[in-house]
Amino acid sequence: MSDLMKMSVPGKPEYVATVRMAAASVASHAGFDIEAIEDIKVAVSEACNNTVVHAGEANLEEYNVEFVREEEGLTITVSDAGPGYDTDSYEEPNISELNSGGLGIFIIRALMDEVDITSGPGLGTNIRMTKYLAKDIA
Amino acid sequence: MALSINANNNEKAGAWEFKLVGEIDLSNAHYFKQQMEAALTEKCQNISVDLANLNYIDSTGLGVIISVYGTIKKDGHCIKLLNPRDNVKKLLSISGLDKILC
Repeated sequence: MSDLMKMSVPGKPEYVATVRMAAASVASHAGFDIEAIEDIKVAVSEACNNTVVHAGEANLEEYNVEFVREEEGLTITVSDAGPGYDTDSYEEPNISELNSGGLGIFIIRALMDEVDITSGPGLGTNIRMTKYLAKDIA
Repeated sequence: MALSINANNNEKAGAWEFKLVGEIDLSNAHYFKQQMEAALTEKCQNISVDLANLNYIDSTGLGVIISVYGTIKKDGHCIKLLNPRDNVKKLLSISGLDKILC
C-alpha cells in the first residue's frame, strides 16, 4: 500500500516554508521520530531551494513536490521544468576554504537514506530522496 | 515563522552580540546578511550569535555565516555560534562549521 500526495508550488522563496510544513506533517503521520522529521524537513527545503534559485533564474512559475508514503518509509520528489544543469559539474563544498557552493545538495545527501538527482541542460531537474523508517532491533 | 534579529554592541567584550529568534531560510537569509553587514559597517569586530531560539536554518543561512566569517577573518576577527538546538547543531556538524566556529 502507498499513499501519494502532490503539490504544485509557486517558484518563490516564501513558499518553501509551506512545503517544509507539509513535509513535517506527512513524515509525522508516517511514524518518523522527531530527529528524522527534522532531517526530512531540511532535505525537502534544500531541494526546493535548489529549484527556486536555479530554475528561478529562468523565471520558472511553479514546480512539483510529490510525497509517496509506503510501509518502509517516505519518498519525496522535487521536480521542475527549469533549465537543468550538468550533474557531473557538482563539487562538494569546502568549508575550510569558506566555499558554501553546493552545500544544499551535500546536506540532502547527508540526511536522507537514498538520493537520486537527474538533470541536464534543457531537461529540468528531478531530486528524488527516500528516508526509511527505523526498524526495531530485536 | 518569521525571523527576529537583535543586535547589541557589547563594547566591553568588543563584540557584536546577535540573538536570532525564529527560522532562517531562503526567504529571509538576505535580511540576516543585511543586518550583519550593517553592524560590521558600523564597527568591524568579533561576532557572537546566540542560536538558542533559532528553530531552523538552511544552507542559505549557513552560507551567510560563512560569507561574513570570510569577511571579518581578514581583519583578524571571528564568529562564535552559541547554544544551537540539536537540529541546528546537526547541520553545523554536517557542514563542518562547528569545527571552525563553535
